[in-house]
Amino acid sequence: MKYQTQKIALAYFAVAMALFAVQVTMGLVLGYIYISPNFLAEILPFNVGRMLHTNSLVVWLLLGFFGAAYYLIPEESEREIHSPMLAYLQLAIFVLGTAGVVVTYLFNLFDGNFVLGNEGREFIEQPRWVKVGIVVAALIFLYNISMTVLAGKKTAITNILLLGLWILSLLFLFAFVNPDNLALDKMYWWYIVHLWVEGTWELVMASILAFLMLKLTGVDREVVEKWLYVIAALALFSGILGTGHHYLWIGTPGYWQWIGSIFSTMEVVPFFAMMSFAFVMVWKGRRDHPNKAALLWSLGCGTLAFFGAGVWGFLHTLHGVNYYTHGTQITAAHGHLAFYGAYVCLNLAIISYAMPVLRGRDPYNQVLNMASFWLMSGGVVFMTFTLTFAGTVQTHLQRVNGEAYMDVQDQLWIFYAMRFGSGVAVVLGAILFIYAVTMPRKEVIERGLETPAE
Amino acid sequence: MTALHSLSFSQVSSGGPGGDAPPASPSAQAPDRPDPFDKLPGEFMMWVLIVSELLVFGAGLVAFLALRITDPTGFAEAQSHLHRVGAGINTIALVTSGWLAALAVQAVEAGRIARMRTLLAPAAALGMVFLVLKASEYADLAAAGISFETHAFFTFHILLTGFHAAHVLAGIVLLALVGILARPRAVETGAAFWHMVDLVWVLLFPVVYLL
Amino acid sequence: MTVTRAWIILVGLSALSTLVAASGLDGRWLAAAVLPLAGLKGHVILNYYLQLALAPEIARGFSLVLGLFIALLIGLSILPSA
Repeated sequence: MKYQTQKIALAYFAVAMALFAVQVTMGLVLGYIYISPNFLAEILPFNVGRMLHTNSLVVWLLLGFFGAAYYLIPEESEREIHSPMLAYLQLAIFVLGTAGVVVTYLFNLFDGNFVLGNEGREFIEQPRWVKVGIVVAALIFLYNISMTVLAGKKTAITNILLLGLWILSLLFLFAFVNPDNLALDKMYWWYIVHLWVEGTWELVMASILAFLMLKLTGVDREVVEKWLYVIAALALFSGILGTGHHYLWIGTPGYWQWIGSIFSTMEVVPFFAMMSFAFVMVWKGRRDHPNKAALLWSLGCGTLAFFGAGVWGFLHTLHGVNYYTHGTQITAAHGHLAFYGAYVCLNLAIISYAMPVLRGRDPYNQVLNMASFWLMSGGVVFMTFTLTFAGTVQTHLQRVNGEAYMDVQDQLWIFYAMRFGSGVAVVLGAILFIYAVTMPRKEVIERGLETPAE
Repeated sequence: MTALHSLSFSQVSSGGPGGDAPPASPSAQAPDRPDPFDKLPGEFMMWVLIVSELLVFGAGLVAFLALRITDPTGFAEAQSHLHRVGAGINTIALVTSGWLAALAVQAVEAGRIARMRTLLAPAAALGMVFLVLKASEYADLAAAGISFETHAFFTFHILLTGFHAAHVLAGIVLLALVGILARPRAVETGAAFWHMVDLVWVLLFPVVYLL
Repeated sequence: MTVTRAWIILVGLSALSTLVAASGLDGRWLAAAVLPLAGLKGHVILNYYLQLALAPEIARGFSLVLGLFIALLIGLSILPSA
């Protein structure tokens, strides 16, 4: 670790991984509710559980991005972070806000209160006071990192990272726009939801991936930067108007069907570019970096993001197809693999890379970490397949044959049971990962231990 | 177990102490084969944009003709409301404008800034001619009560030509900017954008206006 | 080829398209005549305005894709009048 303030990342990664544990645990509970629908119905209604599952995901991914920024910006701009105190204050606000959301929802407090009550909008359901807190925390963050970068060296990686984080934060302001008209509400809603995950987050992803490739493969910065700019341009070109694929059936004019279909099909391209980028860099690079786990997560990120976001996204993005598949388990299949591949793997890659450095225990315990990659990824991929098959059957029974929703759900039970099994694998993988990067104090397997097989 | 052992052995043994900056092997960089994309004339990022735009407009044109199969008479009737002659004149306006822009690139590369500007000005002006003719067509359609929703033909016609016209407008602004900047690289890049606008139109025109 | 010659060819091809369209030709024959002319125009713009001729390998790639695209358009426009 070259700069003391990189240590800030450690606190962010720790909170992120705690929320990661909450997220997958809630996922497992929800998976069980799918096979035994009355499970916890009185204590933890499905909608609250789902909110916890998705919100903890979004918050821990964001905390991971913040941590990544605090880790890589000092190294890139060759400066200490402007104010470590502000960085910790920012984290404290986030933790307080997150706790506030959880408590408000679990006990259904202050219902209907303008400031304290929840807003009941999927993903941006936080009470208003929490939203204000998020904005304040985001402003602190942007101030802190922008001051650091402005005072130091500006690289393509910091440029694209800052661009992504700035637009991301500005877009969150639409969380305060809540028209009575449901169609308009949804229209603005996607300005956040879509333009985050299929726009600004991709910029963050590309720049973090570029940083990792630079460090892990030793390829020239010039080459990495060229790729980074191309990926960023492609992401914005396709992603912005790609929002149209959410405007197919919400009451917006019909031309959105064509804009959405065509531009969102193009969204496959930046994900393909990111996957190619990761592999080409590894082939070109001759540096044999000891942190193989970080490399594995980076390559896994590119590959699974391409399949999850790219291929599974394209699967149901054309409006002629989406007319039938909208809101079926196909969407769930896509959502799980896309988020896992693109953003979970990305965060786990930078955590795998940074943690040994942050804790002064350079490469240790690679095997457990890599095993967790295969266990978790295997679980999510299996889950994706079960949900895809469930969605295909559901589409046919419900949308083509016109059977009733709940009758169809009964017939999908076997898929949900298999999905639960894959969920167990994911949770075990997550626990193993967290153990692998936090607990062991020395390398588990040391040099010279190799013995002939017997 | 053997697999695990040898796997971890190769990781730990090769790295040395580094987590952050491990010693690179003697040739840290693979000997670079000449990258074929380095041969692209002009700014690489502009080519990324050009190809992206071509893909989008190409997909739009294919979807348009595919949809036409379902209603050939409706499409033919709708097409009769367009300004065919105006669109034909616009083709000439754009290819001529593209020619002026290409000459402007040669001028600025030869260091002749004044000549470059006298070439870019009419190039941009022809872009304005294009927009005026386009606007008169839109105005007539609007006067006839025709909009996006009237027929699938018009959904596509307005989307495709509207997107294209927005690019013409952006191109005019870009030509003005690079004309002021007067750096060869900038002029070349601005002209490349303008040629892309030109290229999209020559493909779009027959499909939407003639067939 | 100079850009001026390219421009003359483009104007010529445009005039030819206009002639074909004005000749009363319609349906599949119009598509089969006009679309290749458009493809040729695209080829000229790519190679001489955008100077792809300086990079023959890439120019060949573009021409191939452009050719396939025009063929697809012709196929799609022949169908309704068949």
